[in-house]
Amino acid sequence: MSSDILSFIIFLPAVVAFGLMLTTRDVNTIRNIAFLTTTVILALVLKIYLDFEPSAGMQFVTNVPWIESYGIHYYVGLDGFSLTILMMIAILIPTAYLLLWEGKTKGYWINMLLVQAGVTGTLLSLDVILFYFFWEVMLLPVFLMIGSYGFGDKVGTTIKVTVYTMFGSLLMFVAITYLGVTYNNEFGTWSFAYNELVKITTMDYSTRVWLFLAFVSAFAIKIPLFPLHTWIMETYKNAPTGAVFLLSSIMAKLGVYAIVRFMIPIFPEVFVEFSIYFVAVGIFGLVYFGIAALMQDDIKRMFAYASASHLSFIAAGIFSLNEYGINGALYLIIAHAISTGALFLLVGLIHEQTGFKTMKDLGGIASQAPIFTFIFAIMLFANIGLPGTNGFVSELLIIFGIYEYNHILGYISATTVIIGASYMLWMFQKAILQDRPEGACALKMRDLKVKEIIAFIPWIILVFLMGLYPDVFINKFEPTVTHYLHDILQIGATK
Amino acid sequence: MSEFFYLIPAITVLVGALVLMFMSMYENIQTKNFIVVTTVFLVIALGFSFADFSESYSVIPFADLINNVLIFDTFSNYFNILLILGTLLTLLIGEHYFLHRDYFKGEFFSILMFALFGMMLLSQANELITAYIALEIASFAVYIMVGFNTENSKRVEAVFKYLVLGAFIGSFYLLGVVLLYGATATTNLTELGTYVMTHSGDDMILVYIGLTLILFTFLFKIAAFPFQSWVLDIYRGAPMVITAYMASTFKIAIFSFFMRAILQDFISIVDFWDTIIAVIIVFTLVFGTWLAVTQNIVKRMLAASSIVHTGYLLLAFIALSYKDGAIVNIDAAYATMFYLLSYLLSALGAFGLASHIISETNVKVTYDDFKGLAKERPFLAAMMTIFLFSLAGIPSTIGFIGKFYVFTEAISAGYTALTILAVLATMVSVYYYFKLIAVMYFYPPKQECVSLEFNDKRVSTYAIAFVAIMTVLGGIGSAIVFFIPLMNIDSIIALTQTAVQSLFLLK
Repeated sequence: MSSDILSFIIFLPAVVAFGLMLTTRDVNTIRNIAFLTTTVILALVLKIYLDFEPSAGMQFVTNVPWIESYGIHYYVGLDGFSLTILMMIAILIPTAYLLLWEGKTKGYWINMLLVQAGVTGTLLSLDVILFYFFWEVMLLPVFLMIGSYGFGDKVGTTIKVTVYTMFGSLLMFVAITYLGVTYNNEFGTWSFAYNELVKITTMDYSTRVWLFLAFVSAFAIKIPLFPLHTWIMETYKNAPTGAVFLLSSIMAKLGVYAIVRFMIPIFPEVFVEFSIYFVAVGIFGLVYFGIAALMQDDIKRMFAYASASHLSFIAAGIFSLNEYGINGALYLIIAHAISTGALFLLVGLIHEQTGFKTMKDLGGIASQAPIFTFIFAIMLFANIGLPGTNGFVSELLIIFGIYEYNHILGYISATTVIIGASYMLWMFQKAILQDRPEGACALKMRDLKVKEIIAFIPWIILVFLMGLYPDVFINKFEPTVTHYLHDILQIGATK
Repeated sequence: MSEFFYLIPAITVLVGALVLMFMSMYENIQTKNFIVVTTVFLVIALGFSFADFSESYSVIPFADLINNVLIFDTFSNYFNILLILGTLLTLLIGEHYFLHRDYFKGEFFSILMFALFGMMLLSQANELITAYIALEIASFAVYIMVGFNTENSKRVEAVFKYLVLGAFIGSFYLLGVVLLYGATATTNLTELGTYVMTHSGDDMILVYIGLTLILFTFLFKIAAFPFQSWVLDIYRGAPMVITAYMASTFKIAIFSFFMRAILQDFISIVDFWDTIIAVIIVFTLVFGTWLAVTQNIVKRMLAASSIVHTGYLLLAFIALSYKDGAIVNIDAAYATMFYLLSYLLSALGAFGLASHIISETNVKVTYDDFKGLAKERPFLAAMMTIFLFSLAGIPSTIGFIGKFYVFTEAISAGYTALTILAVLATMVSVYYYFKLIAVMYFYPPKQECVSLEFNDKRVSTYAIAFVAIMTVLGGIGSAIVFFIPLMNIDSIIALTQTAVQSLFLLK
């Protein structure tokens, strides 16, 4: 049983979703059952977290043949990396449910469940074809959510985001099949398991680079890295809150995760060689998206840029090739998921209540909704990286990492983090604290309900806990990072 | 087992066709009853085909009587099953459509059976003239079905174009056969194969020319560039159900014969056409994609996208090659077989569902007509989504496995650039397929449709649901759905392997 627990976590939401789809039409029942499902999953994940042995590599592995003639296996398992992100997903989703509680339809909740199945599957699969399977499937519910419940030109946005992300995925698909064929030519059998593909030796350098770029294209679009970011502004602006939350706090992180999971082991020396470009692109993205965020009036668009800015920073950390940078990036993945997820949900609430989402229309929320403002402020500071919050620890680690990688880039990254603070505070001041201009009537904005406050409590605790006692968390995934650096990348680094 | 046993499926279909023809003399028999009788015959034929399902065999029954022109092996049996299944599902999905068009009288079903008979014969033919006769039986039946409603000028245009072009391209085939005969003094495929193996140089010139002419017929029938221009008008003009039939089942029948000829007999010289086929693939993909993107009418879009699928199929074909007395990359043949199955299911589903939706109306089936389908008939919209996913090759459908299989084989044969082109075509296909999904889900229904009551508890809907379930099962298989052994992806792959291997049993 203990080895099947991961499959249970992956498929439970999907099974529940299909069951609900066929049996009932009552939105409240559906939502309650969906919420219950996510809490069950949270409990299971907590159990895994406690049973997990940090130094033992892959655990809870299930490996059964799926398409045997091509060596494709249903191969899932988790290590320190995936555990951390799994934990994050399991905590974020149920609390997000509490915040999205009112006024949604049947399809919305069913899609939320399906997304959870998709992202968990993506996170846990260790066979590249299985990974691709979930990677594509997790997009489809989001596609339906944006199209059905979005705003503005939602259909155009949906098509655009689908074709855009599909473009990267299909390039990755070619690369995957190419890897499979190369493996077959070398060893005479088929396999797509990532730990088998690692063994390929017969590929020449230029092929590796092309395959590397094909993989990167898929992940860089999801993250998004400059210059493949053009889909996110429109999408984040037009998508419903739930979809934005899923895209920004969970799926974008999976892009980073996939780089670590598949690209580092399969292309170590290309990874090392190209790292300088990616760190540079990451830092450029940090600055570029930061400045772009500064120009925005629409809060959701601003957060879209802010999120892209942070994710570029995460990518820079991942590519910095040392423990500080990678640990910090992983830490920021979680910290950013919490703070951005919370901020998107809170802005969603503002939009729902007042009907406005631009800074010039908003104002005076602080006086109407003090608790809301308080929580908003905490998440905002975590996002900026104020000392004491988790954002601080992770940004500091990444800056250390980049500094160690390259001094000049380190200075640049350290000085540009200030941009993040400026646009966030600017927005906070204009939209929340400051009263609306003369003549405009005060906005009607209710404060948070008890349920919503309860939903935020674990997030707030995590923000401070992770900010003050980072060791507790870092110890869970540090052995994996060390393993990656010493056993995998050192091979490449000596080249 | 008696030799006669192998003949039973084809004979059942033939008898069925004749019985239906006699039945059609009585005007008071209802269309419904014709459908029932046709279904009974098809099910019997299907049952007998399944009897020796996954055995590997190859026999030439009554060799003296039918003079070696027909061959019965696992390969032809595989195709017979696909063809009968395709016809049966077309019939059942079209039930709604047939009942609401008064021009579908009794003889239509007889003609449908004749078409099937021709196709089955084609998949068993081991001789060029026999193949031609079988091809023409099937083609003529399809011509008649395309033009079944003569009151509609589009139908007349379609059938006329199809007939003239089809007859014209048929003459290429005959000329090719004549040249082959001139060079080799035989039209039997097995003997031709021996000739090709043992001769070279000047002896082969006529063979190459003849085979190239035959290749043109093949390309015309499967609608590859530059012979694709008939597709849009004819698919558009034909009754929707017949379009489904042509796009899925008929295409498979064509592939069956040409795959047999190439794999069994001409494999040693197949590399001669590689460059031509590569160029054809490029143009087929590009042109088909361009056509599909620019269409407003869903039927034409699906028709155009079927050209793109022809491109993928040819991509698997080109991966076959021959070196030092052995076939290299025989897996590509399996991939083609698998893709044919996956394409049969998804195309039949998509076209059939469209025909079901418009059964009671006379609309053109533009994208607009699909608006709000998800609200009015959520079940059908979900099915359509499955078929479109499968056509676009999204994971969790059989179309994904088919594409994976084809692309893998193409890459392993060294056609990486072509594969990347095919993947780009797939990417664009995501655009035009998803556009339809978006229309179904994200727009409110058109006003005039709201009042209609839909009766979706009927044979057509169940048949569509069956195809949809097969599509999904074929994509997920039984490793995750543990309790269904039949649709295991591996067992389908194994079946295609047995089928292809049976071609070489008699050597």
